[in-house]
Amino acid sequence: MLLEARGITKAFGSFKAVDDASVTLEQGDILGLIGPNGAGKSTFFNCLTGDLRTTAGRVLFEGRDITDLAPEQRAQLGLARTFQLPQTFEGMTVLENVMIGAFLRAAHRTEAETKARAVLERVGMIRLADAPARSLGTPGRKRLEIARALATEPKVLLLDEAMAGLNAHEVKLAIDLVRDIHRAGITLVIVEHIMEVIMSLASRVMVFHQGKEIARGSPREVTANPAVIAAYLGTRAAKAAAGHTPIELMGGPT
Amino acid sequence: MSFVLVQVIVGGLLLGAVYALFSSGLTLVWGMMNIVNFAHGDFVMLGMYVAYVVYTLMGGGPIVGAPLAVLVLATLGVVVYFGLIRDIMKGPMLAQILGTFGLALLLRYSVFWWFGADFKSLPQNIVGGTYAVAGLRLEASRLLAGVVALLVTLGLHLLLTRTSLGSKMLAVAEDATAAQLMGIRPDTMQAIAWAIAAGATGLAGALIANFFYIVPTVGETLGIVAFVTVSLGGFGSVPGALVAGLLIGVIESLSGYLIGAVYKDIVVYILFLFFLWFRPQGLMGKM
Amino acid sequence: MRRLLWLSVLAAVAIAYPLLLSSPFQQRLGALVLLYAIAASAWNIVGGYAGQVSVGHVVFFGCGAYAAMGAYAKFELSPLFGIPGGIVIAVVLAAVIGVPTLRLSGHYFSMATIAVAETMRLIVTNTDYLGAAVGLSGPTVARNIFDLSFISSLPYYYLFLLVLAITLVITWWMANSRMGFYLRAIKDSERAARSLGAPARRTKLYAFMLSAALTSVAGALYAMMFGFVDPESGLGILISVKILIMAALGGAGLLFGPLVGAAILVPLEEISNSVLGGKGAGLTFVVYGAIIVLIARFQPGGILSLFKRRSKPASEAGAPHAP
Repeated sequence: MLLEARGITKAFGSFKAVDDASVTLEQGDILGLIGPNGAGKSTFFNCLTGDLRTTAGRVLFEGRDITDLAPEQRAQLGLARTFQLPQTFEGMTVLENVMIGAFLRAAHRTEAETKARAVLERVGMIRLADAPARSLGTPGRKRLEIARALATEPKVLLLDEAMAGLNAHEVKLAIDLVRDIHRAGITLVIVEHIMEVIMSLASRVMVFHQGKEIARGSPREVTANPAVIAAYLGTRAAKAAAGHTPIELMGGPT
Repeated sequence: MSFVLVQVIVGGLLLGAVYALFSSGLTLVWGMMNIVNFAHGDFVMLGMYVAYVVYTLMGGGPIVGAPLAVLVLATLGVVVYFGLIRDIMKGPMLAQILGTFGLALLLRYSVFWWFGADFKSLPQNIVGGTYAVAGLRLEASRLLAGVVALLVTLGLHLLLTRTSLGSKMLAVAEDATAAQLMGIRPDTMQAIAWAIAAGATGLAGALIANFFYIVPTVGETLGIVAFVTVSLGGFGSVPGALVAGLLIGVIESLSGYLIGAVYKDIVVYILFLFFLWFRPQGLMGKM
Repeated sequence: MRRLLWLSVLAAVAIAYPLLLSSPFQQRLGALVLLYAIAASAWNIVGGYAGQVSVGHVVFFGCGAYAAMGAYAKFELSPLFGIPGGIVIAVVLAAVIGVPTLRLSGHYFSMATIAVAETMRLIVTNTDYLGAAVGLSGPTVARNIFDLSFISSLPYYYLFLLVLAITLVITWWMANSRMGFYLRAIKDSERAARSLGAPARRTKLYAFMLSAALTSVAGALYAMMFGFVDPESGLGILISVKILIMAALGGAGLLFGPLVGAAILVPLEEISNSVLGGKGAGLTFVVYGAIIVLIARFQPGGILSLFKRRSKPASEAGAPHAP
């Protein structure tokens, strides 16, 4: 087992953003986390990466308890992430941004630069290596996030809405990139609003609603689950929409 | 408890109320815009000099000096907001700190240049006399400052929590974009916040001018006091500033009485560092 | 290649300056520029590269100055022997300030550094062992060359030049190492840097300690040149201000920024002091304040950032092609 979360609870004051959520991740999985806005999937995600301290529950990575480890220590072990709102290093070039990731496994500048260039080549951004990162648009920044994370040579890559704000064509390119990463042997966790992304990528899906896990299974099983439809659309609408395929109803960004 | 000690504690509370008043100004701006005004202590200093000028030029007491200090500082607050803060609050941390820190120097040394570095004070007789309250001897000037500061601080709290202006300001603090969609102009609200914050601070300066030493560099110490107060009381919390201000006033008075006047500032600074070390969670009201 | 050429020109000018402009005033001015450039370069490591604005850096300056003068005044040693002691105290102090504050937002760090500097100044002013308000003096007449007590500014000039060169080499080396990259990343987004494996707190702390050590050396050199230190000249907030403003004016986070800032502001202050006399002191700081406000408002990157080579823009950045 690569990554395991047991009974994760995260409370802000008396409000439980995540309530007793568990998940296991095997080598080669692509786990999708979905749910309406504010369902707790991002909070859960941030508990896995170490950006948030859990109120209760444990996180294990390759059998080792990492609950109390800081994000940088988790990165060291092979956990990498991207951010929903790209956290680009504005004062650096595209190459330097990726070098920050590469420095995790390279002590010297030249070595880090070589690795970073290879990653940029792989994600198709080598042309932009020397451009200032602040000149990138949203798609470029999203892709740069992924490149930086890849440069840390992760075992698990967690993508937080890596496709939000992209147009249909860009989404397609991004899906190809994720597939490519998966083929290279990296296990993925993706938080996503866009159902078609989840449908075409995820091997397993976990659905959150009001801080709780309400369903899990293959994408098809999950989207046929009445509880999931109700969570997305409200119970009454779900009954009214009973005749339609769930994907139609849930498709597109919410 | 000895009688003198009670006297010292009451004196500390009165001074602490003034600390609470000018710290409310800092906490308001900090909580609302997430910007720390390093020139805040110098705003107090300017309030003191306004009172000083009012006295030396026209012999006026706090009845004239205090409202004028509010007016002058509120105007300065608006000017500073539009001239500087509005632009640097979106910028890097370095620009924010440099900007207000530079402003502090500018104000402090303009006063230094104009009035000189020597200590000034207002004659004791402007707000004359000493009252005996329950056997305690209270100087009228300190009593006036403490009571007015307390009332105005409470008034500020009510303004923020009970009026529509207050809720508009809080809306901007929560989410400026959302507030804008609701028809509130963040720019105006933030400028008003600066006016209120600076005005309250100027008032605090005019109030303590009657019994404090007046010197261009006094703002440095008072600025740190305000920072400590806000750190203890929580960002954006006027009641927090009130409690913390009173507490610091008492601690300072007691340490001045028990171990000597030169050490009272040291005690406050060390208290601050102590809190940073051992209770940072108490300092992190808003992350 | 062009960089190397510029560097050689700069080095040649620096070496030739006191020989070409050889009046005592000019030599003294040159030495002071270099001295402040050392202190500002040291500040630049934590304030510029790491983006943690220390407003109480004078406390480290004071550690060096008091250690150097203390070595002579208390132990009759050469002030040089005080330097290692000053460095140790400065580094320990940096850790004491840095460990709790560097995990909080930058404002705390700034305010804590002021509080520590002011606390030290007040404590030293009231400590008889350290000369209280009068301070400590160095050797009035040099017993030997190691007392580093010269009448002419020329030996100081070259000593400072050497130390500045060492400081800049250390800064350059740091900036091009993993640590330098991590610092810049942390400055832009600490959260992202940590997610990529950068140990943010530790890296910032190391930068702060390195900066403190170098600032302490600057303080020791300052005390040696002036032959004494007192609470105002060694621990006064205005020294912090000068150090900070020079780095920010020239360009915080740029290797030569502090030197450029010092080369502009030191002559400005010296000339305004000699023209305006005592009254000028206040006015100088009015101007300083105005300059800082203007930099913050219009050019937070400092003067040198205007000349930074512009990288080609990512014109089609919006559409990266598929792999």
